[in-house]
Amino acid sequence: MQGECRPWFLRTEREGKRAVMTLSALIPILPLLILGLGAVVVMLQAAFYRHHALTWVLTLLIYLVALGSLPFVARTLPAKVTSLVLVDPYALYFLGLMLAGGLIVAVLSFGYLRGGHGNAEEYYVLLLLATLGAAVLVVSSHFATFFLGLELLSVPLYVMICYPKAGRARLEAGFKYLILSAAASAFLLLGMAFLYDQLGTLEFSGLMLASSSPGSSHLFLLTGYGLLAVGVGFELALVPFHVWTPDVYQGAPAPVSGFIATVSKGSLFVLFLRLFGQAAIHSDRSLWWMFAVLCIASMLAGNLLALVQSNLKRILAYSSIAHLGYLLIPFLALGPSARPAVAFYLTAYFAITLSAFGVVGALSSPEHEVEDLEEYRGLFYRRPGLAILLTMSLVALAGVPPTAGLLMKFYIVTAGMEASLWFLLILLVIASVVGVFYYLRVALVLFRRPSEEPLRSLPVRLLSRGEGIALVVLAGIVMVLGVYPTPFLQFLQRVVYPIG
Amino acid sequence: MTTVPTLYGMVLAGILFGLGVLGVIIRRNLFFILLSLEIMLNAAGLAFVVAGSRWAQADGQVMFIFILTVAAAELSVGLALLIQFQHRFHTLDIDAASDLRG
Repeated sequence: MQGECRPWFLRTEREGKRAVMTLSALIPILPLLILGLGAVVVMLQAAFYRHHALTWVLTLLIYLVALGSLPFVARTLPAKVTSLVLVDPYALYFLGLMLAGGLIVAVLSFGYLRGGHGNAEEYYVLLLLATLGAAVLVVSSHFATFFLGLELLSVPLYVMICYPKAGRARLEAGFKYLILSAAASAFLLLGMAFLYDQLGTLEFSGLMLASSSPGSSHLFLLTGYGLLAVGVGFELALVPFHVWTPDVYQGAPAPVSGFIATVSKGSLFVLFLRLFGQAAIHSDRSLWWMFAVLCIASMLAGNLLALVQSNLKRILAYSSIAHLGYLLIPFLALGPSARPAVAFYLTAYFAITLSAFGVVGALSSPEHEVEDLEEYRGLFYRRPGLAILLTMSLVALAGVPPTAGLLMKFYIVTAGMEASLWFLLILLVIASVVGVFYYLRVALVLFRRPSEEPLRSLPVRLLSRGEGIALVVLAGIVMVLGVYPTPFLQFLQRVVYPIG
Repeated sequence: MTTVPTLYGMVLAGILFGLGVLGVIIRRNLFFILLSLEIMLNAAGLAFVVAGSRWAQADGQVMFIFILTVAAAELSVGLALLIQFQHRFHTLDIDAASDLRG
């Protein structure tokens, strides 16, 4: 290279552009960089001066800065940052959604952790790292980023589940999640290796070659897809890979369960849509049928198994299994309204699930999780605000107007009708009807007058201001999306258009 | 030196993977479950290296390094939790942790 070697910030403009990879190439992944740097900053802050509220505020600031950087990134779209990452409007919207989900979980965690003994600051570092993992998953276009993002999402979760004190239930949940998640990652990796062997490339766009390349062995390809489906099926908690979900949701702290149910599943589904949304899956009917079977099984089993539960967190776990089943329908349909339907569904699902887990967390503390239905009896007479919020979430999950729950199912049905998936849609309706039963059963328990003293007197924990605001905002989102979704839906249709 | 057909490499990786899965399912000692998970991850790594050599690309070996690194991180968290488990349950038998059911 000509000229002396000076550090990049001392080089002249012309030399800089020639010799150095311009920093502007990194702008599309600015939110990821902010989150990563933020995790380190929070870790250092917690190391030097332990103060829960300070760490919490710092975490919120980092999330807000990351969200604030999204408009800057939007100007440079679509952008490939090396072959590993593709940031297009689709990815950017979901990036924003994951950041918002992480922000809300952080807000809800403050009040929850404050009520416990034990150090709370590391939790926020883990939360930032897990959100970073989800963000990486959303923008990835290469199997390496897929794997890295997934692990970055999962490993902090192993610890967050056992936070802050590793009691018996928490450890059991943590280990179940660890063992099964690591096994699922291994299945995913083997599937990726088989696909790599056949396609010769680790990029997602390589899947387009799948049906056309002559030398590829069909058996290996199918095995690769199957192994990939096993790994993804575990993470998305599709039946029959769902067995870990109720136990982990029950054993984990309520905000962490909320995170797993929303951000963890949502980011993987977004990647899944990008990965399999290519032509390959639809040229091969056997692949399509595999996912259709997973969809049917999740919708039915998710709702049927919840009927016998008496633990609110387990009911919410089964409901999330069923909802991912519903979400597979637009994935299988893949018409023009499939992606906006998925985006609307994920947004509404995030708001509803986070508000449900938020209420559970608002009543709980790390020492005592309020999860048994008996403890919720007559909640309306003790904490009317929380009871109304929980009722709204349950009603929304059941799909009753005027909440967003109805519209999210409505758009899925629209997407399904475009592809004439009548059988799946009929099953969706049947499964939803079954679901209404157990959601409303919980709602009724809230309003039932306790006939004698409650089994365990509920320790009254004052809501932190942040929790209260967050829950009200979530409720507002659910109601507004349910009543007047048009501007939002038009925004989604403009933004989330099909792209590679 | 004659090259080994990639099919053999993939089959070997598959067999190793199967052994790992079997280990996770059958073993009751937490330590051996974590060990079997390692075997599964490394079998996938072997598959990557074989695939990379078939296409004469470095990608397979790069993925192997990724897998090794991530497996190490995951394992360190797993072992830390294992110590907590031993502390709580006074055993490494996973059947001791069966409170959550249904």
